[in-house]
Amino acid sequence: MPKHDTPLLDELEKGPWPSFVTDLKRQAEKKPECWDILGQLELSFKDKITHWKHGGIVGVFGYGGGIVGRYSDVPERFPGVAHFHTVRLNQPSSKFYSSAKLRDICDLWEKYGSGMTNMHGSTGDLVLLGTTTPNLEPLFYDLTHNLNQDLGGSGSNLRTPECCLGRARCEWGCYDTQDLCHTLTMHYQDEIHRPAFPYKFKFKFSGCPNDCVAAIARSDFAVIGTWRDDIRIDQAAVKGYVKGEFAPNGGAHSGKDWGKFDIKKEVLDLCPTECMWMEGDTLKIDNSECTRCMHCINVMPRALRPGVKQGATICVGAKAPILDGAQFATMTIPFVEVKKNEDGEFAEVVEVIEKIWDWWMEVGKNRERVGETIMRVGLPTFLKVMEVTPVPQHVKEPRSNPYVFWQEDEVEGGFERDVKEFRKRNAQ
Amino acid sequence: MALSRDELKAAILEKATNAPKPQLYVKDFYACDPEAKPREVKNAANDLVKEGKMTFWSSGSTTMYAAKGRAKDEENR
Ligand code: HEM
Ligand code: HEM
Ligand code: SF4
Ligand code: SF4
Repeated sequence: MPKHDTPLLDELEKGPWPSFVTDLKRQAEKKPECWDILGQLELSFKDKITHWKHGGIVGVFGYGGGIVGRYSDVPERFPGVAHFHTVRLNQPSSKFYSSAKLRDICDLWEKYGSGMTNMHGSTGDLVLLGTTTPNLEPLFYDLTHNLNQDLGGSGSNLRTPECCLGRARCEWGCYDTQDLCHTLTMHYQDEIHRPAFPYKFKFKFSGCPNDCVAAIARSDFAVIGTWRDDIRIDQAAVKGYVKGEFAPNGGAHSGKDWGKFDIKKEVLDLCPTECMWMEGDTLKIDNSECTRCMHCINVMPRALRPGVKQGATICVGAKAPILDGAQFATMTIPFVEVKKNEDGEFAEVVEVIEKIWDWWMEVGKNRERVGETIMRVGLPTFLKVMEVTPVPQHVKEPRSNPYVFWQEDEVEGGFERDVKEFRKRNAQ
Repeated sequence: MALSRDELKAAILEKATNAPKPQLYVKDFYACDPEAKPREVKNAANDLVKEGKMTFWSSGSTTMYAAKGRAKDEENR
């Protein structure tokens, strides 16, 4: 495969930052099809349109996801990328893997693919870019038999679940995100590997409201750690921060001199619900007003910690702007304890998931994300489906509709009436 | 009366084979047995793929079903 002239792409090598163009050129010495990636992309830059065709039947036997068919629409000019399928590998929870595993994956991909990877895809997968249909089955065999690694989700499947570092490295984890992520991944193998829904469905798990995997913005089902009781305060450490003994924010933002730490300016005044104050040198928090934003804890991690009655809030229905605009997930279940039962299952979380799925599979339109279905029917209807009693936190704004719609069981005698009797009194 | 799994599969395959559109969403098969749960219909359709009588077609973000040989197939163009 010959080299192509790529004057436009070459511009991307000029800055001080790493360049995928340089990477591709280096890889092309070993894998000449990479010249054709560059050639086709250069053509796309000129034509201002993609030359990848979407979709196809590609997959491995027994699976209906994990491999995304990609074909060039100019294969005569760039035969190296005539087929250029993407393979998604399910990453380990929190992306913890050894460098030996990474080397094995790279070796495998040099053998069966272009050697180009994307670490990591938005859903966390290890993304392997560019192979041909005949290579798929041998790749899958080696992957599952030698590397003990599986494909992730794609299409109308449950997508590869993803979690934050959680309790493995982070003291703020209010539940074991890795355990929940792994356990549900195993529980829902069928939904991950075969299409199951009107459209894609994503799970993401964050251990606290800092939400390091951006679950609230990126997942249909976001489990975000929280606590029910009071923020734990170490008053001696609060005094330490005030005196300047400890660097605020764990020493982050230290590239500039921000002056002496000012607890009023940097913590109390920035509390979004104004529920913190000082009495002398003692810090007070009105926990019933605290919205669990994590700000004070992030600034003074040595003095403040989440409470001990820990669990999670479940938010439903985030999505990117494909049909309507982008939206965050909506708070649906204010609090669940995230606990395994004696069968090793997170039964309470599973129950919530399946209530959503049973409803959405029935009511959701083709290619409608669950968040769009909720928007279409309205949150009150969705909360009824979920058998959740509304709390003030479900209310986004004061009502703009003056009518009250009674349910039949809320009205004495129901909606049945004697029409004949009514007509007798109100004759036409 | 709800259909048996085999009857449901036969109805799905019939629809996939004769529908004017070659590729169908899973929802398009719900009508094959209005009494079946969406999940049963999905499982029956996925069985037919396993048996080689239907194929998945995926754009990468959505998946559709087709009777074998009816899907848009880049490989055999
Ligand atoms: C023993 C070696 C290393 C260890 C243990 C290590 C560990 C880590 C950890 C724990 C994170 C934070 C991950 C997270 O919060 O999601 C991180 C981030 C990062 N590391 Fe490393 N790292 C190592 C070497 C390197 C090297 C050699 C480079 C580059 C040449 C590098 C580049 C980065 C970058 C760019 C980030 C992301 C920073 C950000 O986005 O805030 N690391 N590393
Ligand atoms: C099929 C024909 C009609 C329908 C379905 C209809 C329906 C309605 C409805 C639903 C309201 C609001 C009632 C409320 O919420 O208070 C209304 C109000 C009203 N309609 Fe009609 N209407 C019809 C014909 C007419 C005609 C022919 C006239 C006049 C010649 C008329 C004059 C009014 C007036 C003046 C009001 C306002 C009453 C008030 O707010 O005090 N409507 N109509
Ligand atoms: S989301 Fe919270 S618990 Fe998870 S890594 Fe981030 S700060 Fe820690
Ligand atoms: S977590 Fe946020 S809302 Fe709660 S007390 Fe701290 S700053 Fe205020």
